[in-house]
Amino acid sequence: MEKKELLPVLDSSIKEIRRISGGSSDVLINRFVTGGIHCALLCCEGMVSTSVITELIFEPITDIPEKQNAEELFHYINEELILSTDCPEIGDYDTLFRFMNSGFAVLLAEGMTRALAFGVQGYAARGIEEPSGEGNIMGAHEGFTETVRVNMSQIRRRIKSPELVMELFTKGSKSFTDLCLCYMKDRVPKSLVEKVRNSLNDVKLEAVLTTGQLRPFLENGNYEIFNSTGTTERPDVLCSKLIEGRVALLVDGVPYAIIVPRLFCESFHTLDDYAFKPCYTTFIRWLKYVAFLAAVLLPSFYVSIVMYHPELLNSTLFMLLVDAEKKAPLSIVTEALFALLMYEIIREAGVRLPKPVGGAVSIISGLIIGDAAVNSGLISTPLLTMTALAVLCGLVIPELNPQITVMRFVFIIVGGALGLFGISLLMCGVLVNICATEDYGFPYTAPFSPFKASGMGDTAVRSSVKKMQSRGFTVEEYHE
Amino acid sequence: MNSISRYQLVAMLIITDVFGVFCLSGSISLMTVYGMLSAIALQFLLSLIFALYGENSARWQQIIYLLYVVFCGGVLFSLLWRTSEVIYIPYEGRNAIFGRLITTGLIAFVCLYSSSTGLRAVSRAAVIVVAAGVLYIIIDFVSAVFTADWENIFRPENQGFFYEMSRGFAASGGIGSFFVLLEKTRGERCHATVLYFGAKAILTVLIMLTSISVVGGIVSITNFPVITAAQLSQPFEAQRIDALFLVIFISFAVFYLTLQVMTGAYLLKKIFPGVERWRSCVVTFLVLVAALFISGRELILARGIATAVVLIVSTTVKNPLRNSADK
Repeated sequence: MEKKELLPVLDSSIKEIRRISGGSSDVLINRFVTGGIHCALLCCEGMVSTSVITELIFEPITDIPEKQNAEELFHYINEELILSTDCPEIGDYDTLFRFMNSGFAVLLAEGMTRALAFGVQGYAARGIEEPSGEGNIMGAHEGFTETVRVNMSQIRRRIKSPELVMELFTKGSKSFTDLCLCYMKDRVPKSLVEKVRNSLNDVKLEAVLTTGQLRPFLENGNYEIFNSTGTTERPDVLCSKLIEGRVALLVDGVPYAIIVPRLFCESFHTLDDYAFKPCYTTFIRWLKYVAFLAAVLLPSFYVSIVMYHPELLNSTLFMLLVDAEKKAPLSIVTEALFALLMYEIIREAGVRLPKPVGGAVSIISGLIIGDAAVNSGLISTPLLTMTALAVLCGLVIPELNPQITVMRFVFIIVGGALGLFGISLLMCGVLVNICATEDYGFPYTAPFSPFKASGMGDTAVRSSVKKMQSRGFTVEEYHE
Repeated sequence: MNSISRYQLVAMLIITDVFGVFCLSGSISLMTVYGMLSAIALQFLLSLIFALYGENSARWQQIIYLLYVVFCGGVLFSLLWRTSEVIYIPYEGRNAIFGRLITTGLIAFVCLYSSSTGLRAVSRAAVIVVAAGVLYIIIDFVSAVFTADWENIFRPENQGFFYEMSRGFAASGGIGSFFVLLEKTRGERCHATVLYFGAKAILTVLIMLTSISVVGGIVSITNFPVITAAQLSQPFEAQRIDALFLVIFISFAVFYLTLQVMTGAYLLKKIFPGVERWRSCVVTFLVLVAALFISGRELILARGIATAVVLIVSTTVKNPLRNSADK
C-alpha cells in the first residue's frame, strides 16, 4: 500500500479511507463535533471493545471545551486527557489502517494532517488453557494463546527482571502480523540477537500465519533432517530457555513460540524433569533415548535380521518367528510397511476428524482392523508387536515424531533391501546429517558432540538443582 | 576447512586404525601384540618430532601424503572385498562382481555425502561412532574375561617379531591424515599426539587380547581372527554381539574412507590452489582406481613401508632448532 499522507480536509480524508478500504463493512466511521471542531472516530468492528471505547474515548472527548483549531484540540487531548496508555500519532493512511486493523480507535480532525490512535483492543480471543501438546504433571497448566500481547504478559509475569527485552515488530506485506522478539539482554550472546534479526530481515512473505513459515528463515541448512529451532506452547518452558540465553519469537495468532537455538538433547527434556528426584529423571531421560533409537530402528532391525541375518537370533526366538512368519502371505518388508502405513492413516484420520469421531476411528481401526489383520494371518503377530512398539516409542518424544516417522520408513526399506549393511550406511548418513546441523554457531548435537563435560549434568544425567544453580549455564557455552 | 578439537581428531584417527585391526588377517598371538605395540611406540616417537618441530609441510611432502591417503583408501576397499567372505552383505553373494561394485558405490556415496558436510560435522559424528565402538570393544572384552579360554594367550607364536611389527605399521591408515590435520587442530599438538597413540595402544591391546582368548584354539583355520572373535563372542546368555559388530564395522569403514577423502581433498586444494570444485569426487575416483589395482592383495609389507615412508617424510622438518626457539 502506498504511504500517502493524511489529507487536511476531513471529508476528503474519509472519502480516501473509504476508497482504500473498498467500502469494507467492518470499517466504522463515527462523525461528531467536539470543542467546535468536526472530527471522526474510526475503528474496525469486532477489533475494539465497545464498552471501553464508550467509557474511555467518547465520554471524555465530547466534554471538551471550545477550541480555536484542531491543533489546539489535539494538544488538549494529548496533554489534559489521558484516554489510553497507548496513543501514538499517525501521519499516513498506511499506518492508519495498520493501527485501525489492530484494534486501535483513530481520531481524525478537520484541518489536521495527523491523527491520534487509542489502544482500545477488545477482540474475541481464546482464553489461557492447558497446552494440548506438552503435557506436564507437576508444572503450571497455562499455555500460550493466539494473542501475542497476552503471551508477552505471560512471560513478563514469570520474569520480572528489566533485563528481559521484548521487541514488537510486524512482518507480512498483507497480514502485518505482530511478531515479538524476546531475550534476556544480560544472558543472550550479542551476536545471536543480531543474526536472528538479520535472518528475519529476509522474510518477505505476504502473510505470516504460522511459526512454520518463519522457521526456514531462522534455520540455515536446507538439507537438515532435524529442526535447529524449537517450538513450545508453554510460557514456563520459554522462560527457562530465555534465562539460558536463547532468543524467542512470538507470533500473533499462533499459540507457539519459536526458540533459537535448539539442541537435539532438549527434545528429551520436560519441565517435569526438575520436579522429580534426579535418579528418576535420569532414568526417564535414558528411557527416552532408548525409545528414540527403538522408534527409528526397531522395525528395520527386525526386518533385516529375520530376512538376512537369522543366525543372530537364539534358537527359541528363531523358531517363534519362523512359525509366525510362515503363515503370513506377504513379504516381511511389505508387512512392515503395510502395518506402518495403516497406523499413519489411522493417526492422520484421528487428528483431522472432529474429536468425538476421531476417538471412534481409533477404536475401530485399533481393535477391529488390527485384530482382524492378525487373525486373518495378513500380518504376523511379532511384526505387529515390533511395529506397535516402535510407534509407541516414537510418541515418547512428540517433538521428533515427524522425523522419526519418515526415518522409520526409510530404514525399513533399506534394511529390507540391504540388511544390516544398508542400515549401518544409512545410520552413518543420518548421524553426519545431525552433526552437520548447526545454526548461528551452535552445534545441534552439543553437548554430546562436541563433548562438553559440564553439559552432561543436565543431559546424560540430571544433577540436583542445588548443583545446577551454581553453574549459571548459558547456551553460549556450546558456541563453536 | 574449520578447526577441530584434539578429541575429534583422535576419534577420526582411532576409527581408521581400529578398522585396520578389525581386518587383520592370518594367525595372531601374543607376539602380534608386542609387534603392534612396538610399531605404535615407534610411530609415536617419530610423530612427536613432527608435533614438536613440524611446520607447514612442503609441496613434495603434501604430494606424498596425498598418494598415501589415496593408497589407504584403496586398501580400505580391498579389505572390505576380502572380508566379504565373513561379513555377510545380502546381495553380494548372489551378484559376485556386481555385488561388490554396489557395496563400493554405496560406501563411496555415503562417504561423498559425509565429506560434503565438512570436517567439523564428520569429526563430531566420529566422536559418537568411536564412543559406540569403544563401548562394543569393552563389552566384548568383559564377556571374554568371563567366557573365553585365557590359556590361549600362551599359545606358541607363528610369526616373527618384525613381521608382526610390519602388521602394526600396516594397520595405521590414519597416520597420513594425522600429519595433515594436526595443523587444523586446536590446542597443544603434543597432547593430541599422546592422546592418539595412547588410545590406539589401549584399544589395540584390548581387541587383540579378546581375539586371542576367543579364537586362540582355531586361529590356524581362521582368516580374520578379530571378526571371527566378534562373531563367536556371546556376552549375554541368549544373544550374540554380531549385529552390533556389523554396524560398528560398516560405520568404521565409512568414516575411514571419509577421513581419507577429506584429507585428500584438502591436500589437493593445497597442491593445486586453482582446483576448487569436485575435489572430493576426484579423490574418491583416485581411491577407486587404487582399489582396483590393490584388489585381492593383502600388501602388508607395502602398507607397512608406505606408513614408514610417510613417517620419515613427516620428520624431515626445516631447521628444528630455529622452530624450537620460535616456540
